[in-house]
Amino acid sequence: MKKRIGVYVCECGPNIAGAVDIDRVLEAVLSLDGVAVAEKYGLLCSGDGKKYLVEQVREHGLTHLVVGACSPKQHELTFMTVCEESGLNPFLFQMANIREQVAWITPDTEKATERTIRHLKAAIRRVLYHTALEQKEIETNPDVLVIGGGMAGISAALSLGSSRKVYVVDKRDALGGKALKYEKSSPGMANSADVVENYLRGIETDENIEVLTNTNVEEVRGFFGNFLVKLRENDAESDARELRVGAIIVALGMDPLDSEVLSEYGYGKIQNVYTSLELEQANVDGKLGMSGGGKPKSVGIVHCVGRKEAGYCSEICCTVGMKIACYLQEKFPGIAVTEFYQDLSIPGRGAQVLYEEARRAGTEFIRATNVQLSESDDKIKISYERDHDKTEEKPVDMVVLLVGIGPPADAEKISNLLSVPLGKGGFFTEEHAKISPVSSSIEGIYLAGCASGPKGIPETISQSEAVAGKILAGLVPGRKIETEAKTSRIAENLCMGCQTCLDVCCYGAISYNETRGICVVNEVLCKGCGNCAAACPSGAASHQHFTSRQVYQEIAEIVK
Amino acid sequence: MSQNAEVADQILVIGAGMAGIEASLTLAAAGKNVYLVEREPLFGGQAIKCEEVFANMECATCMAAPMQQEVLQNERIELLTLSDIKEVQGVAGDFTAKITKRARYVDSEACIGCNACFDPCPVSLPNTFEEDLGERKAIYISCPGALPNVPAIDTENCVRFAGEECNLCQEACMFEAIDFDQKDEEIEVRVSAIIVATGYDLQDVSQIAGVEYTESGNVYTAREMERLYASNGPTEGKIVLRSGKEPTSAAIVHCVGREDIGYCSAVCCMYSFKFVHYLTDKLPEIKLYEFVSDLCIPGKSYQAFYEKLKDKAQITRFQNLAISQQDDTATISFQTPSGEDNTLEVDMVILAPAIVPAKGASELAEVLGIRYGEAGFYGTESGIQSGVDSGRQGVYLAGCAQGPKDIARSITQASAAVGRLLASTD
Amino acid sequence: MSEEFEPRIVAFLCNWCSYAGADLAGASKSEMPPTITPIKVMCSSRVDPVMVLTAFLRGADGVLIAGCHPGDCHYDKGNYYTRRRFAVLRKILDTLGLEGERIRLSWVSASEGPRYAKVVREFSEKIEELGRNPMWRSV
Repeated sequence: MKKRIGVYVCECGPNIAGAVDIDRVLEAVLSLDGVAVAEKYGLLCSGDGKKYLVEQVREHGLTHLVVGACSPKQHELTFMTVCEESGLNPFLFQMANIREQVAWITPDTEKATERTIRHLKAAIRRVLYHTALEQKEIETNPDVLVIGGGMAGISAALSLGSSRKVYVVDKRDALGGKALKYEKSSPGMANSADVVENYLRGIETDENIEVLTNTNVEEVRGFFGNFLVKLRENDAESDARELRVGAIIVALGMDPLDSEVLSEYGYGKIQNVYTSLELEQANVDGKLGMSGGGKPKSVGIVHCVGRKEAGYCSEICCTVGMKIACYLQEKFPGIAVTEFYQDLSIPGRGAQVLYEEARRAGTEFIRATNVQLSESDDKIKISYERDHDKTEEKPVDMVVLLVGIGPPADAEKISNLLSVPLGKGGFFTEEHAKISPVSSSIEGIYLAGCASGPKGIPETISQSEAVAGKILAGLVPGRKIETEAKTSRIAENLCMGCQTCLDVCCYGAISYNETRGICVVNEVLCKGCGNCAAACPSGAASHQHFTSRQVYQEIAEIVK
Repeated sequence: MSQNAEVADQILVIGAGMAGIEASLTLAAAGKNVYLVEREPLFGGQAIKCEEVFANMECATCMAAPMQQEVLQNERIELLTLSDIKEVQGVAGDFTAKITKRARYVDSEACIGCNACFDPCPVSLPNTFEEDLGERKAIYISCPGALPNVPAIDTENCVRFAGEECNLCQEACMFEAIDFDQKDEEIEVRVSAIIVATGYDLQDVSQIAGVEYTESGNVYTAREMERLYASNGPTEGKIVLRSGKEPTSAAIVHCVGREDIGYCSAVCCMYSFKFVHYLTDKLPEIKLYEFVSDLCIPGKSYQAFYEKLKDKAQITRFQNLAISQQDDTATISFQTPSGEDNTLEVDMVILAPAIVPAKGASELAEVLGIRYGEAGFYGTESGIQSGVDSGRQGVYLAGCAQGPKDIARSITQASAAVGRLLASTD
Repeated sequence: MSEEFEPRIVAFLCNWCSYAGADLAGASKSEMPPTITPIKVMCSSRVDPVMVLTAFLRGADGVLIAGCHPGDCHYDKGNYYTRRRFAVLRKILDTLGLEGERIRLSWVSASEGPRYAKVVREFSEKIEELGRNPMWRSV
C-alpha cells in the first residue's frame, strides 16, 4: 500500500508561529517522498486540534502521521491516542520537538526555520520505516509460591489466600520462623509467639493456602504469570512435584551473623555468654537463667556484635537489647542490667517509649567501644573504653551478645535458582532501593522480610502486605497481562549465539536456546531499553521502534 | 471517570507525595479509580525538593518524574491539586467525602505551560517553596519543572484580587488560559476506602530552645540547604549564604530539639551526611563539621554511605548544644559526652530538625475520624502490624503521616495499604 | 570562497533524564546554538558505536551522547554500558583520523536544564574549533 504521510505543524500560539516561518517549512517538507499533505494548525493538542487531526487522517487516507510541535514528553501520548481514534496504528507516528528544541532556543528566525525543516525531515524520513507494533496480551496464572514460612511468608500468604491458591514452602518441619522464638516483639512489646500462632491458625483454616514443609525448591523456569516450579521433599527419595504459579515471593528470612565473630567475645568458651536468639528461646521455654540454674544478679548486654565485620547496622538490635532488659527485670527483680552500645539506633516514637521504659526500670546505658570479655573469679569481666580514652571494667554474672542479622543460609542457592542477584551484605537485591523495594529485577519475583536486608517485624509485615498489594493489583485471576510494545527482537538467521545480549540485559529477558544455538527475547520481561541491540555484534538483535535503520534516517537528514 | 462506576472501585488518596503517588499507581493497576487530592498547586511532596537522595545520590526528580508522568497520564487517576478534604461521612465500603478544590484561576486544559504570564506580573514576593530564598510572582509555578506545569494565582498577594485594576498576566497569555472568574469548586465523591498519605513537616526551628534562627542569619534548615543545592532552585545550585558570600566552613547539627520532641526522626543522620556530599561537591575546600548525638544509619546500605563520607567532616559527639548567630558567622556552644565545654565558630550552620506531622494533621484527623498518637502521627506503632491501620475501618495510612521514615519505607507502606485495601474487598 | 562553518552535531538523548533536561533548558529559554539536532532513544545504552561511526562517515561534525547520571539509569545499569562503549569509541576515532574530542558523553539529569545548555554551548564551540569533519564530501 502506498505510504501517505500527513505532516502537521502546530503554531502553539506565538510560541512556534512567532519564531519559525512555518509556511516555508511546509513548502520544504511537501517535496519529500511519501508526504501527502503538510498543514499548520493553531493548537493541535486542544480538543479541536485533535478532532482536526482525526478528520485529516480520514480525509486524506493517511497511513502515517508526523507532528511538529512541543516535546514528545508532553504530547506524544496525546497524538498516539489520536492515531488510534482515527484507525491508525499509534506507532506509525513520529513527533518532532520544534518548540523546546528549536523555537524557544533559537532567536534568529532564519536559523530556527532551517532547524525546524531539519527536525521535521528527520522525523518524516524516520516514520517511513516505522512498523505497526502491537501490544501483546498473555494469559497468566494468578497463583503464588511463597518460599519461606516465617513471619514474612505467612503474612504474605494470609493477605493473598482469599483470592488465589498460595503455596507456602519451607525446608524446616514447621512454619513460624524466628518470630516463634520471641515472647515479645520490640519496640511495641506485643506478644510475638501468640500472634504467630494466630497467623498459623489462619493459614490452617484457609483452603487456598497449601503448606509444604520439609520441602525444597529444586527448579524454577518460566516468567511472570507463567512460572513452572519443581519442588522436592527433604527426603531425596521422594518424587518431585511440579507447580504452576504466576508470582514468587522470596521470604527466606535471616540467619544471625557468623559464629566466628562470637568467639572473639568468648562465646563458647566462657560460661553464661549467650546470643540474643538463645536468650529469647530460653525465655520462651521458661528456662531463663544461668547455666547450672542460678539467678543472675547482673547482666551485660553487648550491642553491635559482628557489626564491624559485616559493615552495616542490623537495625533492630538496640530495641531487642531493651526488650531483653525488660524480660530480665521482670523475671529477676532487682537485677542490674547494663547495655554496652555504640550508637542508639531507635527511630520512631515507639522505640523511644521502650528506651525510656528501660531507663526507668533501672537499665544503665554506657556508650562503649572495644568491648572485651574475660573470666574473672566466677564472674564475667567486661572491659571497655568509654569516651575513647578511659578503659573501665564491669563484672557481671551473664552476658547477652546482640548478634547482627545476616542473610539466610539458602540465599545463594535460591539466588541461583531464581536468577535474582545478591548484593550488599549478601542479601537479595531490590529492583530499586527506594521506589521498588519489594520487587526484584526479575518481574514476578518479589522480596519480603529479612531476605532483602535486616529489619524488624513491623517492617517485614509492611513488605509482605506491599507484595500482596502488587500481586493483587498486577496478577488478577482471569486478567491478561499487556506487554511493552517497543521490545527487542532477535533475528534467528543472524544470531550466532554469542550471548553478548544476554550478558548485558539487566532484566533477565534474554535466554539462550541450546538446541537452536540462538538467543531469544522474552517480550513479557523486556523493558525496551535497547542495550542488547547496541551490544549485538551481528545485528541480529534489534530494538523495535528504535531500529538502526530508523535511527539512520534521522542521522542522514541531520548531517545534510 | 464515569460517574456510574461502582463505589467499590473508587478510592480516595489524600496527599500526592511519594506515598500517595505509589498508592494511586498500584490502585490504578488494580483497576480502581482514584481521586488523588493534594493541597499544594504542585505534587511530588517533599522528595522533589531534593536534588539528590541517599544512599545512591540519585537525582530525585529523575526518580519521581516517571511516576508523576504516569499519574498525570493514567485515566484512572484524577489528580486534584489545590484541594482540601472538608468532610468525610459514611462507613468502610461507602464513604462520602466533600472536597474543596480551590480556584487556580488558570484553565489547565488551555494552558500550555509557556510561562509568558510571569514577567508582566507587578508583584514579587518570597517563594515559600524555595524556603523564601528566592522570589516568585503572584501568578506562579513553585519551581522549574513543577508538575502539573500550570501556574496558579496567589489571590492573597495579587493586586487585582485586592481591588486594583490589573490584567497584565491575562494580556500576556496567548491561549486565553487565565480566568479571573474561576471559583472554588465543592466536589463530592463516593469512595469505598481512603488512604491517608499526608506526609510530614519539619519542626519549626525558631521554636527550639537554645537555637538562634532568623531569616537573615547564617543558620539554615535542612530544607533551605536542599533548595540551595538544587539545580532548579533559587541559586541554580550555587552554595551561597544570604550575605552573598560562599561559606568556608559549615557545621551540620543533628538531633537539635530531640530531647524535647521525644523521638528520633529516622532520616536525619543520612541526609546530614548527604549534605557533606553536597557541600564538598560545590565547595571542595570547605571545612565541615558534623555534630552527632547517636548515629542512626540502619540497614544494609546506609553505613557504607556514612563510611564514604565521614572522613570529609570532623565528627563531634555532643550532649548539650546551643547555637547563636553573629553578623558573619554562627557559633555552636556544646558539651562533649565527657562533660567538656567547647565552642566552634563557623560561616554556616545547617540544622536537622525533627520530622513532625504535616501542618493541619490534627484537624484532618478530626475530619477523618482517626486517632493520632502523642507525637501527632496517625495510627499506632504498637502491636505487630505494618502501621497501615488508622483505627477506623476503611481508612488506611501510608508514609510519614504514620511516623518518620525514609522514601523506601513510605513507598512500601503505600503498597501495603493498597494490599490491605484490596484484600479486604476480595 | 569559505562558507561560515556551521557544525552539524547529532545528539543522542535518553528518554528519561537527558531529554527531560534538554526540554527544561528549552523551557527556560536558554539560548543554545542551532548546531545540535536531538535523536531520542529510550536509553543511552541504545547508542551503538556503529551508529556513531556512521554519523561521522556521513559527515557529522560531532556526536553528543547524554544519559542519566551513573546510578540513576531508568533501566538499572544501561548507562554503565554507554560509558564503556564511549571509551572504546574514543579509541576507534583515532584510527579513523578523527579527533577524539568530536564525541562527548555527558550525564544530564531531568532537572539540569542550565547544565544541558552549557554542555551544548561548550561542545558546539569545540566542534567549531576543530572544524569540519574531514570525511565530509569525501564519502
